[in-house]
Amino acid sequence: MPEATILLIIASIVNALVLSSMYILLALGFTFLFNIMGILNFAHGAIYMIGAYICFFLATAVGMNQWLAMLIAVAAVGLFGIFMERFAFRPFFGNINQIIVVCIGIITVLENGVSVSQGFIVQVTPPFVQGIFRVGIVSISWERVVIFLIGISLLVLVLLFINKTKQGLQMRAVAQDLEGAVLQGINVHFVSALACVIACALAALAGSLMGSYLSLTPYMGQDIMIKVLEILVLGGIGSINGVLFAGLIVGTLDAVLPIMVSGTATQAIMMLIIIIILLFKPQGLFGKEVRG
Amino acid sequence: MVVKGSMIAAPNSNTHRKNLIPAIGYGAVICLLACLPLIFKSPYILHLFILTLIYIIAAASMRFIMTSGQIPLAHAAFLGLGAYVSAVLSKHVGLSPWLALIIAALVSMCVGIAISFPFARLKAFYYAMISLFFGVGLLQGIESLGKLTGGLAGITSIPTLFSTGSKVPYYYVFLALTIISLAILYRFESCRIGWNLKAIDQSYLVSSSVGISEVKYRVIAVAIGCFFVGLAGGMYANYNVTISPSSFDTTAKLWMIIYVAIGGTNDFAGPIIGTAVLFLIPQYFSGLKQYTPFVSAAVLFAVIFAFRDGLVSIPRLIRTRYQRKKVKVQTDDS
Amino acid sequence: MILEISGLTKNFGGLAAVSGMNITVNDGEVLGLIGPNGAGKSTLFNLITGVIQPTKGTVVFKGKDITGKRPHVIAELGIGRTFQLNPLFPNFTVLQNVISSFQIRPRSNLFDTFFNTPVYRKNEAYILEQSLEILQLVGLYKVRNELAKNQPHGYQKMLGVARALAIKPELLLLDEPIAGMNPDEIDNTIEAIKRTSQLGVTIILVEHNMKILEICNRVVVINFGQKIVEGTPQEIKENPEVIKAYLGSGHDTQH
Repeated sequence: MPEATILLIIASIVNALVLSSMYILLALGFTFLFNIMGILNFAHGAIYMIGAYICFFLATAVGMNQWLAMLIAVAAVGLFGIFMERFAFRPFFGNINQIIVVCIGIITVLENGVSVSQGFIVQVTPPFVQGIFRVGIVSISWERVVIFLIGISLLVLVLLFINKTKQGLQMRAVAQDLEGAVLQGINVHFVSALACVIACALAALAGSLMGSYLSLTPYMGQDIMIKVLEILVLGGIGSINGVLFAGLIVGTLDAVLPIMVSGTATQAIMMLIIIIILLFKPQGLFGKEVRG
Repeated sequence: MVVKGSMIAAPNSNTHRKNLIPAIGYGAVICLLACLPLIFKSPYILHLFILTLIYIIAAASMRFIMTSGQIPLAHAAFLGLGAYVSAVLSKHVGLSPWLALIIAALVSMCVGIAISFPFARLKAFYYAMISLFFGVGLLQGIESLGKLTGGLAGITSIPTLFSTGSKVPYYYVFLALTIISLAILYRFESCRIGWNLKAIDQSYLVSSSVGISEVKYRVIAVAIGCFFVGLAGGMYANYNVTISPSSFDTTAKLWMIIYVAIGGTNDFAGPIIGTAVLFLIPQYFSGLKQYTPFVSAAVLFAVIFAFRDGLVSIPRLIRTRYQRKKVKVQTDDS
Repeated sequence: MILEISGLTKNFGGLAAVSGMNITVNDGEVLGLIGPNGAGKSTLFNLITGVIQPTKGTVVFKGKDITGKRPHVIAELGIGRTFQLNPLFPNFTVLQNVISSFQIRPRSNLFDTFFNTPVYRKNEAYILEQSLEILQLVGLYKVRNELAKNQPHGYQKMLGVARALAIKPELLLLDEPIAGMNPDEIDNTIEAIKRTSQLGVTIILVEHNMKILEICNRVVVINFGQKIVEGTPQEIKENPEVIKAYLGSGHDTQH
């Protein structure tokens, strides 16, 4: 096999891993919100975007170190998550139409806030890690490695949190049976707020990193939101395993397809693939009965 | 949700009077709307009203689909489909714009059927997701057919419905089309077909046990809804002369949902009011240019927090408040 | 013989909810299907009406194989049913619930429906008249304009029966029709069932309340998804196996 092809394959694999890890973090947060609060947070993409822009802004305009900028972005957006749970989700709990409306309102405000203050030009956050990692003929930028490692570690942390800690247990209890959890004395509001904070923090983190790995536009949230929904539907709504597998698939497709087809067609083909998969397996890989 | 029933209203002496009042009301509104171009001569204001009419058809057709429980998240993509089909047919193929309009509506209907039928047995959530993905994919697909559709730049110099430069004929024709479309949608909703849609929304088990085919009616809902939004899209293309993917992008999709949801999804008049309020009010502030969306968002939040059931619930709320006051006064007197 | 079930089996994972069921139902009879909770009675109904697909076996209705057909097709063929948990059209009124259930006979086509032709109006008037009659039959006439979801439990169950009658079924499957009702409502329901049977409708009743036996011509007892014994109500009441099945499962059978 020619060297160029090998390098291309390796580059694709690395790209796929990086993208997958970030997508999975996002989709995981989204799934938490769905499982625990029954809410489809359509504004999740916008949260991701605002996290990215806060980090970008602090790192460029204020000149902060990117890591510090990212931490602040994560903290700020996490706090915003509490605000969102209290004022956007709790009042409209259970009514999907109204939740959609509120989310669209949030999206509009965030997207417009960003486009008005930062403009529409594509920007990039300065890289978090410099340097290239070489092994034989293979060279991978350290940044990719680091992003992937961060993604994986956070994934493991979150899964551990869910399965091993008391709060995680409470979250799972609420997800399974709201009334039962209330009767058990679990503070559902606290659990919901916690879920929101985690989801938003993960989104902001992914956004900050992707702001450097890819780029930033005010509408990056919309694109990523589609991916999150793809992962959700492919993997089966509410299934954590589904998120992991589907996230990997979507990330890989995203890394590999653009090589084979031109830019605009990539999305269309992805949609086609997904719709075809759903034709045969509508409940997704790990989903449950979907009839009716 | 309280479902009003014109199908089942038992006739009594009040019925004729009850039917007369709304009829006079609608007649008055239509007369007022017909006189609009005489009051507002500015082409810009006419332009706004014309756009409002187009969006009203789109929003009402979206709500019609929603009565069956499905949420066509990418309805605006069908608006785009109708627009592009009509544009291509009238510009590249040379058909009369009027004919292109009808064909655009039919194409939109067929595509809607094609995308809804395979998934009609699944929970409504899945159609919502499929609709969303399809909408994104559709627009991307349209963009990528650069030769035919002009890619990102879109299509320009689309043949118009009228050769005069004035907007007035457009206004009257579109007003007529809107009234006809709304009348048709209203008829569908108030006859047995509409009731069956609401039935399958409420319970699959019950409706199938009495012989209502869920698949058949979900597809019917989508077919009718997509027909009218395709029509609206064609109207847009042959009026606006230019179309581009950005007119039908995600922001447009999101706001179409808002027009329906804010107006009130449980009432036929909901999308009409929602579109009028949420489209026109921010336009009043269009001088703010890039800050206009904040006004839209502000109106959105104001309405959703104040009126949970949408704007259409305002008269009912006022009536309830008024009745409560009346009762209070009466009990105070005794 | 109006209904013949042969070798009907449904496995959920490793669990056989219904196993090798053979039942024949005769024209015009009232067949009782009794068994303790979890015996597979509702599953059997769901299998007959196409809500779930059987793993094995066949269901033949009036000589025609209807195994695994979709629920609305089965309704069109003339089988009506009520549900244990009694879903309704909650946001419709009681009357609208019944009217919405008249889908099959008469049926207006699209043209007539949309253009409100005299044919359509005649059909709808007929439907209205029939609906009011049914509501009187089941005793819900006075609450006809109330929202279904606001009705007390007993009325809602009666509404379920009314709805099933609207499709003019030849075979009516009643899933625990008197569960949760007070003695008056039970008497009313039993009356309504008797009158329906007199109209020639074949009825299969699922219950675990033994009181229902008095109106059945025949009774089939099932447990663990299998037929245990069948016979007349008298034979069943005295059958030691049946008594063991009920007392053995520890659940009360009297109200």
